[in-house]
Amino acid sequence: MAHKTMSCKASDHEYLHKDFHGALSAGIEYLHTHYGEQAVRDYLREFTRKYYAPLRRAIRQRGLAALKVHFETMYTRERARFRVRLTRDELVISVAACPAITHMKSHGYPVARLFHETTRTVNEALCEGTPFKAELAEYDPETGRSVQRFFRRSR
Amino acid sequence: MISCTEFIPAYSDLFRFLEKRDGKESVIRFWHYLSDYFLGNLQETVKKEGIQGCWTYWSRTLSEEAADFKMELDTQKGIFKGVLRRCPSKGRLLKLKHFKAYPDYCGHCDVLYRRVLEPLGYDFYLDMSECDRATCRFYILRKGDRKPGPKPDVGTSRKKKPGVRTKPRA
Repeated sequence: MAHKTMSCKASDHEYLHKDFHGALSAGIEYLHTHYGEQAVRDYLREFTRKYYAPLRRAIRQRGLAALKVHFETMYTRERARFRVRLTRDELVISVAACPAITHMKSHGYPVARLFHETTRTVNEALCEGTPFKAELAEYDPETGRSVQRFFRRSR
Repeated sequence: MISCTEFIPAYSDLFRFLEKRDGKESVIRFWHYLSDYFLGNLQETVKKEGIQGCWTYWSRTLSEEAADFKMELDTQKGIFKGVLRRCPSKGRLLKLKHFKAYPDYCGHCDVLYRRVLEPLGYDFYLDMSECDRATCRFYILRKGDRKPGPKPDVGTSRKKKPGVRTKPRA
């Protein structure tokens, strides 16, 4: 066909462009290579503190329930297999495989050596200034399978 | 994990982080790196399919990004034109009240795509004059198909109000 046109509205499709995981991974690797490990953590921490400011406020106001909603929404949207366990002072999120790593591996995108910092550093920064702490209790770099734990800081 | 739906602010903030560290040059260097190492799929598709590859690439990415867009392909003339009536990325950044986007966020498109397409034999024109409204237009043309003269009209300029002159009369 010599000539064709296509016109779409935003509402015609769901917003889920998983190749963006590959672009973030490329950015992490670039920072790591050119500026070192600490730059990766500084960048992720700065970004988290700014972009997730409303979530961090919600954590201060509503506690771990706010984080639970955040992770459930995110992993559901990304079609991950995950389990969430919330008690009064602890939230544990078990992810069978990181959807970002699954997508990157199946599409041939390299996974940055420090890609796990998008979980560890981001979770830690989410908790800054709140009564909670984050711990990446388990992480498999091959699949991104993880156990993420949030718990009340000891007084 | 940062969801792919929250990538755009992360991307914007990476530009800001690099500029703060090392100036605008470092942002451009990163865009070159990203073009070389991340846009291999665009390069391969256009190498394999020619101008049709632009259609293949952008019909998938813009759909997955839930863009409000129009695309036009003329394989005989070797022209591909894209109109983003509402760029999903810039649109998202403009919506965020608590988060300041990198001022030259849209600049990455010009650098990334040009760097892939020009060595493959295509001219790349991007009109960013309405980026502040999350609107842009781009135009890809097989080199050699364009007659010498002014840049093609990519239908970019905002409509002028009747009676308003843009140039003073001599």
